[in-house]
Amino acid sequence: MSTDRSTNTSKSALLSLDGWAVVVALALALVVKLDWLKNVPW
Amino acid sequence: MASSTSLSHVESDRRALHALNILPGVLLLAGIGYAAKVLERTVNTYAKAHHWVFPNIEYVLWAILIGLVISNTLSIPKIFQSGIATYEFWLKLGIVLLGARFVLADVLKLGGISLALVVIEITLSLALMTFLGKIFKLKPKLISLLAIGSSICGVSAIIAAKGAIDADDEDSSFAIAAILALGALALFTFPAIAHGLHMNDTSYGLWAGLGVDNTAEATAAGALYSDAAGKVAVLAKTARNAMIGFVVLAYAIYWAGKGQAEVVTNKAAFLWKKFPKFILGFLFVSLLVGFHTFSKAQVGSLGNLSKWAFLLTFAGVGLRTNFREMSKQGLRPFIVGALGEILIACLTLGLVIGANRIWGL
Repeated sequence: MSTDRSTNTSKSALLSLDGWAVVVALALALVVKLDWLKNVPW
Repeated sequence: MASSTSLSHVESDRRALHALNILPGVLLLAGIGYAAKVLERTVNTYAKAHHWVFPNIEYVLWAILIGLVISNTLSIPKIFQSGIATYEFWLKLGIVLLGARFVLADVLKLGGISLALVVIEITLSLALMTFLGKIFKLKPKLISLLAIGSSICGVSAIIAAKGAIDADDEDSSFAIAAILALGALALFTFPAIAHGLHMNDTSYGLWAGLGVDNTAEATAAGALYSDAAGKVAVLAKTARNAMIGFVVLAYAIYWAGKGQAEVVTNKAAFLWKKFPKFILGFLFVSLLVGFHTFSKAQVGSLGNLSKWAFLLTFAGVGLRTNFREMSKQGLRPFIVGALGEILIACLTLGLVIGANRIWGL
């Protein structure tokens, strides 16, 4: 039930969530590959 | 011209407003996530310093607990709501980046015997959890989450499956809580049983890697026995983790097909529409790592970025979970989880002992 609510909310907030997630992840991967972001701590 | 310019201004203003709207909620997610990390470290350090026998509670559980406490005791102001809803974005971002931590080639390191055991374990676990879930009449998607969580790699698999099969927040929260609670118990029971059975390092390491669900607990359970057992446990666990893409993919297809009750004119197009695209991103990143596109340090950075994204997700899962909704489910999911885990631990122990007798591990 709440998933429906959250999905609706997030769909209205962020269109094509999957696509954005992949794009942002690949952009981050590129940034890491180019060594613009090094040794990310945890 | 003038009207189009003003329209684009309105659009950019709307986007800026939206970015501002989500900021408080995102900061809340980040704050809870960071507090969870600090708590994990502080509590563990304090317990060690005072020689307490205290289970290693991971940041994951802390983040969910803090979120749960806030959402069930306070009324969350509206200003945070849209930001909290972005946790699904962090979830999917984390999964895509998680591809860096699941290299298919790692499976080969284990060799034939270990890999065969992993495949048997996953098949048995999925079948057993599904059977138990049906006996206890759990909701089908909760059964899927428990089955995936207990057969592959605990929290990561549940989180990956949650997005793929569009499961309820309460279901995933329940499944994660059950897997983590049972994982903490395994830290104490697995080494004790193994000592009682005088298992060798390789056999025990395999058992810990096959039987304990969460990677951190599996690694710790192995290392608690011996350093060599810890290494084998990590290898066996990696083999299980490598299967996450395939099993979640299968479940995603299964649920996508199940959701189409009406006539399907173009099944491929429907599946493509329903198919969670972030899984392709996950596989793509995994493939890039497999082709050595990144250095070891860069893979580590991608893995850590994934963990940060998940940190916000875990906080969101807690914040979106309501005990009133959960109480409607009762204790059955936890009982199913516990029963299943005990049976899976026995089955995997039998598998490892059998393999040891046949091949001399």
